[in-house]
Amino acid sequence: MSEKSKSSAMRTGVVVLVVLAVLTVAEFVVGTVTNGSLVPLAIIALIKAALIIQYFMHAPRVLRSDQEGGGH
Amino acid sequence: MSSMMATHEGGFSRINMNRAGLWLFFVSEGFMFAGLLATRFALLPGTRPDLDQTVGLIVTSILLLSSFFMYRAETAIAHGDRSTFVISTFLTMVLGVVFLVGVVGFEWLPSEFGPSDGASGSVFFALTGMHAFHVLTGVIFLFVIFTNGLRGVYTAESHWGVEACALYWHFVDVVWVFFYVSLYLVGRVA
Repeated sequence: MSEKSKSSAMRTGVVVLVVLAVLTVAEFVVGTVTNGSLVPLAIIALIKAALIIQYFMHAPRVLRSDQEGGGH
Repeated sequence: MSSMMATHEGGFSRINMNRAGLWLFFVSEGFMFAGLLATRFALLPGTRPDLDQTVGLIVTSILLLSSFFMYRAETAIAHGDRSTFVISTFLTMVLGVVFLVGVVGFEWLPSEFGPSDGASGSVFFALTGMHAFHVLTGVIFLFVIFTNGLRGVYTAESHWGVEACALYWHFVDVVWVFFYVSLYLVGRVA
């Protein structure tokens, strides 16, 4: 795999981390402002989990049949 | 063709079977953690334990950051960059230990309630205890791939151990995403 695909994958990781950080702060604010309302907090948590599963865990990779090793 | 590359019927290789098996394990673990979450909402409907919000936010941030370094480590070894892999794995391991210290040292020990002091105590210690145990096993797993990495065991073509460790670590992070919200943010203080 090329240096270009490596830096692209690293950049994706940074973007996902920043989005997760923003969502975590949003969670904290929503939890404080809404006095712990379940629905908005659950939605944010689901988005965070989806981001981790999609980008960090490479969920679609489990369905592929042609990859060895890391599969980046 | 190596044993790792050997394909099974239907064109699925050994690595695909490994991945499927690990994801099935996550599904079974997911049911167990979902059961703990259900217990939390059944025992404390509309309320939550009285916890230190700052500690919760800090340990959550640490775990998210550790997931990023784990991703970085896996990406690096997939591209044959062993030094970045070793450094990132080490940082992930350190952040995992810091998370454990944060939960045990700054939440459990100063806590004014224990596991047997009502629903709040039971819920808090059951959820954080089960999760902390998974973080601990993840740190041990990280140590194994870290030492293997120092010995040059993994290559860009063959690093299933790293991938499995990364998947496990991210799974533990996903669990905490829901535990953080349900323990620290949802409901009024009991």
